[in-house]
Amino acid sequence: MSNTVVKIKDLVKRYGDLIALDHFSLEIEQGEIFGLLGPNGSGKTTTINCLLSLLSFDKGDIEIFGKKMTPVSYDIKKEIGIIMQNVAVFEELTVYENIDYFCGLYITDKAKRRACVEEAIKFVGLEDFRRFYPKKLSGGLLRRLNIACGIAHKPKLIILDEPTVAVDPQSRNRILEGIQQLNRDGATVIYTSHYMEEVEQICTRIAIMDKGRKVAEGTKDELKRMIKNTETITIEILELPEKVYGEISSLPHVYDTSHSDGKLSVYCSGGKHNLTRVLDVLQKNELGFGRVYTELPTLNDVFLEITGTALRDKED
Amino acid sequence: MQVFKAMTRVMRKRLLSAMIYIIVFLVISVFIANVSNKDNKFELTKLRICVFDEDDTPESRALTEFIGKSNDLVELENDRDTMIDALYYMQVNYVLTINKGYAEKIAAGDTADLFGSYHIDESYSVVYMGQFLDEYTTSVKAYLAMGRTMDEAVAATEESLSQETQVDMLRVDKAGNSHFSVDFSMYFQYMPYVLVSAVMIVICQVLVTMSRKDIRFRTNCSCLRDSEYTFQLFFGSGLFVLGVWLLLMIVGAVINEEMYSGRAWLAVFNSLIFSVVVAAIAVFVSSFEPKDNVLNLITQILGLGMSFLCGVFIPTSMLSGSVLSAARFMPAYWYIKANNMIADIQPYSFEGVMKCYGVQLLFVAALVLLTLLVRRVKYSGAAIGTSVKKAAVS
Repeated sequence: MSNTVVKIKDLVKRYGDLIALDHFSLEIEQGEIFGLLGPNGSGKTTTINCLLSLLSFDKGDIEIFGKKMTPVSYDIKKEIGIIMQNVAVFEELTVYENIDYFCGLYITDKAKRRACVEEAIKFVGLEDFRRFYPKKLSGGLLRRLNIACGIAHKPKLIILDEPTVAVDPQSRNRILEGIQQLNRDGATVIYTSHYMEEVEQICTRIAIMDKGRKVAEGTKDELKRMIKNTETITIEILELPEKVYGEISSLPHVYDTSHSDGKLSVYCSGGKHNLTRVLDVLQKNELGFGRVYTELPTLNDVFLEITGTALRDKED
Repeated sequence: MQVFKAMTRVMRKRLLSAMIYIIVFLVISVFIANVSNKDNKFELTKLRICVFDEDDTPESRALTEFIGKSNDLVELENDRDTMIDALYYMQVNYVLTINKGYAEKIAAGDTADLFGSYHIDESYSVVYMGQFLDEYTTSVKAYLAMGRTMDEAVAATEESLSQETQVDMLRVDKAGNSHFSVDFSMYFQYMPYVLVSAVMIVICQVLVTMSRKDIRFRTNCSCLRDSEYTFQLFFGSGLFVLGVWLLLMIVGAVINEEMYSGRAWLAVFNSLIFSVVVAAIAVFVSSFEPKDNVLNLITQILGLGMSFLCGVFIPTSMLSGSVLSAARFMPAYWYIKANNMIADIQPYSFEGVMKCYGVQLLFVAALVLLTLLVRRVKYSGAAIGTSVKKAAVS
């Protein structure tokens, strides 16, 4: 029996001349935290809207839990929880009433719903705020309320569309931990973000989107293996003779070097003991140096190498 | 019924502003009803009368005493200037002098020159006292002619003139059929303004809250069927409108005790139809999702605009032809027209009233269609797509 929860095949969505989704395909397995990573305008939200049948599309197929998703697929919708970037709650209802309302859209049985609401309140840590109105909550607490409203009915598939935008680091960590807990409890999670660190931290598999296309997909290690860079060595050194610079550039596994602002950057692709070799060259030539550090490739490096631009640059 | 329950909770927060309109309306209605009661209900009034008894006989004293039973006797100095001043400053309505020889003359059957008087010409007190004295002396004279003694004649006259007639003020149509109390139409006259204000201020704000983009998005993602969602919104809105209407009807009945009789039921039905019109207007306006301050502005423009142009605040007879021509495109005009017909302010015809009902219902149908159109455009995939596209471009 297939464990595929979401299957998107050849999805095309156009807005006039603009192609928002260009033959986008995806499969998400049960139990995954799947990250959709891409800059603003790359098609993440359009994908989610199509997935939820809130938006019609020009071509392609979408299946959720093995069934075709349509606007009237209420049996599928019953198993989905959605948490959006904007806090979608009633200002006029208390924390408890808000969660009860959204949970009630899925669960009609009063006793069962009460238990679910209580559980959701406990999960997001809003026990002391159940009678508070949203305007009395801080930004972080509001986000937690937003999450509680989306998960109270215990969905099997949870879609989080950039839920940590404009959230302080403390609340962000709590939200990310919560998502991982939901996943451990059995939910499949789709997480869209343009924050690479978050995606890297929690997602078991990642698809990188750019201009409506999926440019790469895999686990974070698989993605990192797709690129040439495996290690970046940075050494603080004020003066570097041309001869030494050339010697370092010609070391095995070094595919690029740069020296500016008193910093020598050495980009390596694979191999072992790259740092030792670089330091040996410097010591042999009796050159003094300051701090030394090495960095493993990030998803930004992956994105940079695949698309030619940095993810953060594209946001702006 | 989650949506309905949430609606009622949101409504609770908005009720105060609606109640202000309703309470102000009811206070004004009570005031009007009280003023109207005085104007249109029969009530025995007492005159302030000063009597100078120059005859000073048992007969003249009996007359003075009898006058005092149904009027207030005022004592004045027997001085012409004093009496004229008292009449001018309305301290007395009538100054009566019972001339000397009153008893002898009336015993002889002579009723000429029995009295002298000071009064303001053409006042109702002159007519009243003239009729009263004429009836009194004629009656005494008649009883004496029948062979009664003077004491018996005076007693019989007092007895017959003391009988009061029950008077009920009713409005009657041309065929002479009474239909409702005269206070009734006034109560319904001002109802459009309070209905528009109270209903729109609550329903629009509630519907706008329920349709807020993010909340709507989340609701659309749920397994609640669209039809059920719409039903619950309509049910909640309808219940509120019906509640406001019922409240106004019940209070109306308390203020005007004889309100629900005869043709008045047509006015009640007219107000119910207008309530549905107002609900349709509220749903239509809310589909544009205006902000609170814009909504207040729209409510005031619609409420006051319709009230001034359609004859709610100003009688239609005082409005110019061009204003009335424009007003025909507003539902309040047809409400007032029906109300005026029912109250005989305009010629009544059952068919005419039905036509006014029909036109109001046509407004409802048109508003429902327009609302569906607006919502279709706003919530269609194309609309979502446009916003997504904008986001993508930005």
